[in-house]
Amino acid sequence: MKIRKIVTHVEEIHTEGGRPVEPAARIAVVAAVIANPWAGQGFVEDLGPGIDATASDLGRLLAPEVLRALGAPAQAYGKAAIVGLDGEVEHGSALIHTLKFGDHFRRAADATTLLPAVEKRGGAGTVFDIPLKHVTDPTIRSHHQTVEVRVSDAPHPGEILVALAAASRGRPQQRLADLSTEQ
Amino acid sequence: MQEIATNAPRIDLRKLVTYRDVVVTEAGARPDRPAHRASVAAVVRNPWLGTPPRTDLSREQARVAPVLAGLLTDRLIAALGGADRIEAFGKAAIVGTGGEIEHAGALIHTPFFGDLVREFLEGESIICFADARAEAGEDLVVPLWHKTRAATRSHYQTVTARVSDAPRADEIVVIAAASTGPRPHPRIGDRTTDSAVTSENLERVLT
Repeated sequence: MKIRKIVTHVEEIHTEGGRPVEPAARIAVVAAVIANPWAGQGFVEDLGPGIDATASDLGRLLAPEVLRALGAPAQAYGKAAIVGLDGEVEHGSALIHTLKFGDHFRRAADATTLLPAVEKRGGAGTVFDIPLKHVTDPTIRSHHQTVEVRVSDAPHPGEILVALAAASRGRPQQRLADLSTEQ
Repeated sequence: MQEIATNAPRIDLRKLVTYRDVVVTEAGARPDRPAHRASVAAVVRNPWLGTPPRTDLSREQARVAPVLAGLLTDRLIAALGGADRIEAFGKAAIVGTGGEIEHAGALIHTPFFGDLVREFLEGESIICFADARAEAGEDLVVPLWHKTRAATRSHYQTVTARVSDAPRADEIVVIAAASTGPRPHPRIGDRTTDSAVTSENLERVLT
């Protein structure tokens, strides 16, 4: 795995809707910008060897970093793969839609659910939204949220940006009824 | 965290966004000294919203700017591992469309912000800056230079700061930024290595 840069983005929300948020809601994202393992190889039918060489190492790198940046237990989480313009979205999906990648985060966060994801192709500086859901129950509505991220100079055409996101709580002023209460 | 909880209402703080990056490889090679760069942005309500252009800004400056200097440098120092590790710094502000650039400047260009940022980051140089009036989500390229020797060319660099949903028209985003080292592969010399350049000795290039 060839890493160019590692980016950390942390938001702390102190007021929302004009009212204080206490304690402040925290969301952290850590992204690694890496060389696309399949760059320059034309259409690669079997992505397995590239996944084996990369996905687990990426998950092991990013999971502890995003929890450290959050500085609190993760109640919601998500992931992202943004593929540079010369690659396929399938390349990004290959790296993040495997247990080899996600299980590092699940174990570190005491989580059990599937990680919601964004995967897209874009130029350097493309804006992307990472969806987050509750770490043990994806039906908990208060924790459905997103964080918007932009890395000004990534991904280059031959790169993939892979990110993990974690939130310390649900939406700052969440007040929707539970799914179970709806008829 | 305690300090933030105490100070947030005093300055109408909505959110703080911290960005940090480290270049592992650049142009395929590891930097001799990999630098961490960071920016911290605070979103606050514009204290002068709706005031006419001759309004005296000094009172609110003295109230809001020192709190911001403390908050932002605390976060920067935590993100970069200590004030002693920081080698370059910069500052910036983005005022929402309901305000004046003068309001952005009022929060970053006086001793109530600049002198404190310099003190907390253990610097001596004038702090270089950028400012803008913009819609939410606009990015601003924040210049950095060396905190004690501003002319150190290896440390001329920038970090891009952006808050996706700020500033609103009635807000100001105030930013402090820093780096723990030079550009990844600095090799454009310095004042000590430059030869004298005049239009006369460049005659062949210029004609």
